[in-house]
Amino acid sequence: MVGPQYDLVGNPLGAVRSTFERAAAESGGHEPVAAFRGKDWGATEVFRSFLFEQGGLDKVPVLDESNLGLIKPNTLVRFRGMVQDMLGNEFYVGAFKDGSTWRTNKFSDSSPFSMPHPCDSHLWERHLFHCVPVPGQNSWTRESSPGPDLRRIASCFTSEQREKRKRGADNDAMDVSESGSGETSSSSKKTLADWESDLNCLTFPQKDDGVRISNSSVEMSMNEEHHVPEMNGGDHHIPGSSFSCLVKVYDMPESQVKLNDVSEFIGVYTFDPELAAPNDNSDDIMFDLMEDITAQLPPSKVPRLHCLVWRNLSAHDFLPRPPAVEPSPILLRGIRQSLLSHFTLVLGKDELAAQCLLLHLLSRLRNKVDVVTVGRLSLNFTGFNRESVSIFGNQLNNLFQRLLPYSQVIPLSIKYLNTATLQPRKDNQSGRLVTGVLQLPQGTHLTFDETLLQSGSLTSKGVKNTMLLKNLMESQKVEYDFEFYKLEMATDVQLLILSEGKSNILPSDLIVPFRPSSVPAVNASSEELESWRWYLATVRSLPQSTETDTYQMIQDEMVNAMRDDRSLGCSELSRWLTMAQIMAASFGEKSLSMEHWQMVKELERLRKERLQ
Amino acid sequence: MATTATKTIDFAAERALAKDFLANFAGPRGEPKYLNILQDVANRKIRAVQIELDDLFHYKDADDEFLQRVTENTKRYIGIFADAIDELMPESTEAYAVDEDRDILMTQRVDEGADGGADGTDPLQRMPPEIRRFFEVYIKAFSKVTPLTIRQVKASNIGQLVKISGIVTRCSDVKPLMQVAVYTCEECGFEIYQEVTARVFMPLFECPSQRCKLNKAKGNLILQLRASKFLKFQEVKLQELAEHVPKGHIPRSLTVHLRGELTRKVAPGDVVEMSGIFLPMPYYGFRAMRAGLVADTYLESMSITHFKKKYEEYELKGDEQEQIDRLAEDGDIYNKLARSLAPEIFGHEDVKKALLLLLVGAPHRKLTDGMKIRGDLHICLMGDPGVAKSQLLKHIINVAPRGVYTTGRGSSGVGLTAAVQKDPVTNEFVLEGGALVLADMGICAIDEFDKMEESDRTAIHEVMEQQTVSIAKAGITTSLNARTAVLAAANPAWGRYDMRRTPAENINLPPALLSRFDLLWLILDRADMETDLEMARHVVHVHQNLESPALGAYISAARRVVPSVPRELEEYIATAYSSIRQEEAKSNAPHSYTTIRTLLSILRISIALARLRFSETVAQSDVDEALRLMQMSKYSLYSDDRQRSGLDAISDIYSILRDEAARTNSMDVRYAHALNLISRKGYSEAQLKECLEEYASLNVWQIHPNTFDIHFIDA
Repeated sequence: MVGPQYDLVGNPLGAVRSTFERAAAESGGHEPVAAFRGKDWGATEVFRSFLFEQGGLDKVPVLDESNLGLIKPNTLVRFRGMVQDMLGNEFYVGAFKDGSTWRTNKFSDSSPFSMPHPCDSHLWERHLFHCVPVPGQNSWTRESSPGPDLRRIASCFTSEQREKRKRGADNDAMDVSESGSGETSSSSKKTLADWESDLNCLTFPQKDDGVRISNSSVEMSMNEEHHVPEMNGGDHHIPGSSFSCLVKVYDMPESQVKLNDVSEFIGVYTFDPELAAPNDNSDDIMFDLMEDITAQLPPSKVPRLHCLVWRNLSAHDFLPRPPAVEPSPILLRGIRQSLLSHFTLVLGKDELAAQCLLLHLLSRLRNKVDVVTVGRLSLNFTGFNRESVSIFGNQLNNLFQRLLPYSQVIPLSIKYLNTATLQPRKDNQSGRLVTGVLQLPQGTHLTFDETLLQSGSLTSKGVKNTMLLKNLMESQKVEYDFEFYKLEMATDVQLLILSEGKSNILPSDLIVPFRPSSVPAVNASSEELESWRWYLATVRSLPQSTETDTYQMIQDEMVNAMRDDRSLGCSELSRWLTMAQIMAASFGEKSLSMEHWQMVKELERLRKERLQ
Repeated sequence: MATTATKTIDFAAERALAKDFLANFAGPRGEPKYLNILQDVANRKIRAVQIELDDLFHYKDADDEFLQRVTENTKRYIGIFADAIDELMPESTEAYAVDEDRDILMTQRVDEGADGGADGTDPLQRMPPEIRRFFEVYIKAFSKVTPLTIRQVKASNIGQLVKISGIVTRCSDVKPLMQVAVYTCEECGFEIYQEVTARVFMPLFECPSQRCKLNKAKGNLILQLRASKFLKFQEVKLQELAEHVPKGHIPRSLTVHLRGELTRKVAPGDVVEMSGIFLPMPYYGFRAMRAGLVADTYLESMSITHFKKKYEEYELKGDEQEQIDRLAEDGDIYNKLARSLAPEIFGHEDVKKALLLLLVGAPHRKLTDGMKIRGDLHICLMGDPGVAKSQLLKHIINVAPRGVYTTGRGSSGVGLTAAVQKDPVTNEFVLEGGALVLADMGICAIDEFDKMEESDRTAIHEVMEQQTVSIAKAGITTSLNARTAVLAAANPAWGRYDMRRTPAENINLPPALLSRFDLLWLILDRADMETDLEMARHVVHVHQNLESPALGAYISAARRVVPSVPRELEEYIATAYSSIRQEEAKSNAPHSYTTIRTLLSILRISIALARLRFSETVAQSDVDEALRLMQMSKYSLYSDDRQRSGLDAISDIYSILRDEAARTNSMDVRYAHALNLISRKGYSEAQLKECLEEYASLNVWQIHPNTFDIHFIDA
C-alpha cells in the first residue's frame, strides 16, 4: 500500500473500514465477507507497516492514568501493561449488510451506521484481556516510551479530522457523522457520533474555541443523562479502583498472549457515553448468571482498546535506545566491574555480598520440569537488624528501583502474613480473577524484609500464605485458587531475603552473612545507570551453550569435593553449577569455563568461612 | 443470527421425516423405542422425550443430511419433533389421577373450542400446541463424540448441538419461566393465548378478539397465572476443567440454561458432560443500546452426564502422540521413563522402575464367577528419614492423572477410608469418602504409613485386596469402590534403620499387611564413591538438558493396552514360582512368605511391563524382569542379613559380582565398580582380591592383568 490514505493515528477506523470495503468488493460472491471470520483482510498490515516501518510508533500516544480523559475516542493509542485476567471471548456482530453494502464493526464497540433490522449479519469473536499497569514497575521504565505531547496532538487531530471530513463530504457514508460536527450540533436527532464529538468539546474546553462552537446545553444534558464527567474526574484514584484497560484482541491464536505477560497493545481507543452509562436498571431479574463481566469495568474508568497490533515486552524494550553495539565480552566486562564496585559501595564495602548480589540479579529460570528448576538463585543476606535494614535495605531497594524493570519489597511480619492476600483467586460470583500480591510478571524482583518478623501465631490464612511463599521459593510456582481446583502458574521471580539469622520460612539457595564495614555511599550518574540496566538486561538474555568438556571436568571436581565434605548434597552442587554458569554469563561468555568454576569455588570458600 | 438464512427448510417434509423416525425406530430388542416413550408420556409417567442422535444415526432409513440439519439447527428441530410427537401421541392406556388444574382447564378448553369455533381465525385465540403438551423434547448429542472444552466452542458453533465438559461453579435458584401466557377478557370472556419465546415479553392489555374489536369494547385482559404454562428454569455456570487449560491461561466459563426436567440435576463442584445448543442471546431494550453490537452466548442444555476422570480418558495435547510414538520406537523406554521419574532425585533406579510400573499397573480381572482380581500394584517404601521418600511420593502424584497424597495420620475426621458425618445444616448423616475413596481409579500415596490410625489400618486390608471400603455406621451400610494403587512410605520402627536388628523387627507393620504389597523397598542413606559420581553426573545432566518426556501421556496410552499371558509362558512362571517356594523351604529363617499372592504379583508386574512395551502379550523377558525386581526388592531388605547367614566372605563377594553382571546384562565388571559394590556390603579390598584370585583359578572369570577388570567366562 502506497502511503496511508487515512490518518492512521487520528482516524484508524476509517482505514479499517476502507480496507474492509475494498476486500469485500474484491472477494465478491454470494457471501463475500464470510471468509473474513477470524482472519485479517489486510487492515492490520497497513498499521504494522505504518508503526514499525514508517516510524509511526512515536506518533502514537501512550494511554495511561494521567491522560485517560484527554485522549480522543476512536484514535490510535498504545497501552503497556500486564495481562491480569482473561475474560474469555466476546461475540459481536462483525459484519452486517446495510442495503447492498457490507459493513464491519471490527475494532470498534459501535457502528456509525445503524444496523437495519433484520439483516444479514455475521457473529465474530474477539478475546478480552483485562490489563493493568505492571505491578512493581519502576518509574525509569516509563521515561523510555514517552508518547507525543497530548495536547499538541489533540489539536492537530481535530484539524486533520476536519480536513478529512471535507474530503468525505460527498460520501454518503460520512453523512451520519457529518451531522454531528460542531457547526450543526443543534440538530435534535443525536447519533452516537454526535455524543463522541460533543464529548471532545467537553474534554478540550480550553482549546480549539475557534474550531468548535461548543454547545453548552448539549453538554449539560449529557452530564445529567450519562454521568460523563466521571471520565474527566479523578475517581480512578479511589483506592481499589486503580487504572486498568480492557483490551480486545482479534484473530489471535489462543496461546500467544499468556496470563501475566507484559505486552504493548496498539489499537483503537473507544469510548461511547451511551454504552458507558451505568447499568441502573435490572431488566434481567430472570438471569442471575448471565451477567456481563465487562459491566463491572465501567468504560468511564476502564478504557476499551481494540487492539490492532501487539507485542510482548522484555526488559530490553524499556531501555531508551538500545545501543546497537554487539554485547562483546570486553564491553560487558567493563560495565560488570563498575556495577560490582557500585554494589560494593552500596553494601558497605562487603565485596563478597556484592558478588553474590550480582549473581543473584543475573539469575533467571532457565529450565523447569515439574518441580525441578534450573537457574534460579535466591539470596538470603543474614545479620540484619532493624537499624541496618533501614540503612542498607533502603539503599538496596533504591538500587533495585533504578536498575530493574519490576521490583517490590514485602515486609514479612506476622501481621502481613495473616492479613495480606498473596494468592490470586477466581471469584466465581463476579467471574473475575481477583489479583494477589504474587500475581507477578516474569522477571520480577522481590525483596522480603524478615527483620520485622516477631514470634506470634499464624492464622490459617497466614499458614496458607507461608506455604505459597515457600512454594514460590522452592519451585517457582504460584497456585491460583479457582475454588474447585487449584491451578499452578509458573513464575520466574528473583527473591532476596534480608533477615537476622538464616530464614527458615523462606529457605534460600544462597545464604550470605552480611558484613558491612562502612556506611553505604552511593552516587551514580544517569549514564552509568543506563549502562547497568543495559548490562543486566543483556546478560540475562544471553544464550548459554552447554558444551560437554567443561562439564566433564566439573563433574570430577564435584566428586572430589564430595570426598572432602561428606555433607555436600545435590542441592549444593546444583547451586554451584548455577553460580558458575551465571558467573560465565556475567563476563559475557557464552560457555562455561573452569576459570568461572574456580571463581565460584573461591566465593563459596569465603562464604563458608563467614558461616562458621 | 443469520446462520440459517441461506437454506429454507421444508417443514412439512422434515416433520414427516421426524414422525417416520419416531414411529418406526426399533430399539435393541426390536421394540418401538420412541412409541413406548410416548406411551409413558401419555400415561403421565415421564415428561422428557429424549431423542438420541445415536438412534437417528442407526435408524435404518437414516438420512445423513437430515442428521446434519438436526445438529446444525437443533433449536428448530426440537419444535419439529414436538410437532411430530403431537401427531403421534397415543391415548393414555392407564388411568391417572386428574389432579392438575391444567387438566381441568384443558377439558374446558376443548369444550369451548368445539362451540366457539367462529372466532378461530384469530391467531391469538387459537390454542398454541405448546399449552397442550405434557412433554419436553431433548435432543442428545452422540455419546461417542469426545466433548469439546469450553475454549473450543467458537462462533462457528452457534446454533449447533455441541457436547462440552466442565465443572459446575455456580447454580441459580430454579425459577418459573413463562411459556404460554393465558389471559381472559373481561368483556367477551374469551381466553387469549400468548406464546412467550423470548426472555422478555410485553403483556397484552387490550382484547384482540373479533368480538371486542367489532364492539370497539377494548376489553380488559387479565393474566391468568394458573392457566398459563410455566417451565422450570435454572442457570448454571460451567468452568473448564483444570487439565483442559493450556499453560499460562486461566479457565473459561460458560453460562448454561437448564429447563424443565433438567433442572436441579447439578450442584457446584460437579464435573459434568453436557450436550446442548450453543445460542446467542440478543439484547433487549436499554441493554441492547448499552452493549452495542455484542451478543451474549449460552448453552441450552439438552442432556447432562456426571462423570469421573480416569487415566484412560487422558486427552493428548499437541504433539504428545508424536512423542509417544517416538518413545515407543525407542527400545530403551523402560529405563528412560524410569529415569525421568523424579529427576531431582538421583539413583534408586530400581525403585523408580517399580514406581513406573505402579503408574502403569495391570488391568483388573473379573472372573466369570464374579470374583475380582486387582490389577493395581501396591508398593511400600521403607527407609531412613531424609532419603527423599516423600519427594518420590509427591512426584508420583504429580505425574498420575488422578492421585491423592495423604499421610497416615489422616488429615481430618474422614481419615483414609470413609466416614459418616452429620451435616451441620440439615442434620442428616452423609457419607464422606476418605483419601482412598477419592483416589478411586488412581493412585493413593500414603506417607507415614506406619503411623496410621488403628481403624484405618484394619480397613486398609480390605482396600488393598478387595478394593472396596465397607461402611456400617449410623444405619448406613454400604460399600464404596476404592480401586486404587497404594503407594506407601514408612519409617523404620526406631526412626532409623537399625542394622543390628532383623528386618522384620525394623519394619513396623504386621505381616498380613506387608504381604499385600507387591514390592517392598528399603532405601538406606549410604554414601560411597559410586553414588558420589552418580550424583555429580546427575547434577550436571540436569543443568545441561532437562526435558520432560510425555510421561503422563505415555502412561495413559500404555494403560489402554490389555496384555495377556501366553500359554507357553504359564509353565515358565509356575517353575519360577515353585523354585522361590523351594528356596524358602530350604532356608531355615525365611524372610518372606511366598504365597499365591506372590504369584499374582509376578503376573501383575509382568503385565505392567508388557503394557509399557505396548505389547498385547507378555514375553519371557517381562517375567524375568519382574522376578528380578522382586528379588532386588528382597535384597534391599535382606542383603545385610545374608551376610550374617553363614555364607563366607569370599563366596558372598562372588555372588555380589555375579548378581551385578546379571543385572547389567554384561560379562564384564570393572574393578573400581566391583570395589564399590563390595565396599557397600562392608568387605575390604583385600577380600575382593582374594576372591578374584580364587575364582580365577576355578576358571569362572578372567582378570585383566593391569586393570584387574573382571570378565566372566561363561554366561
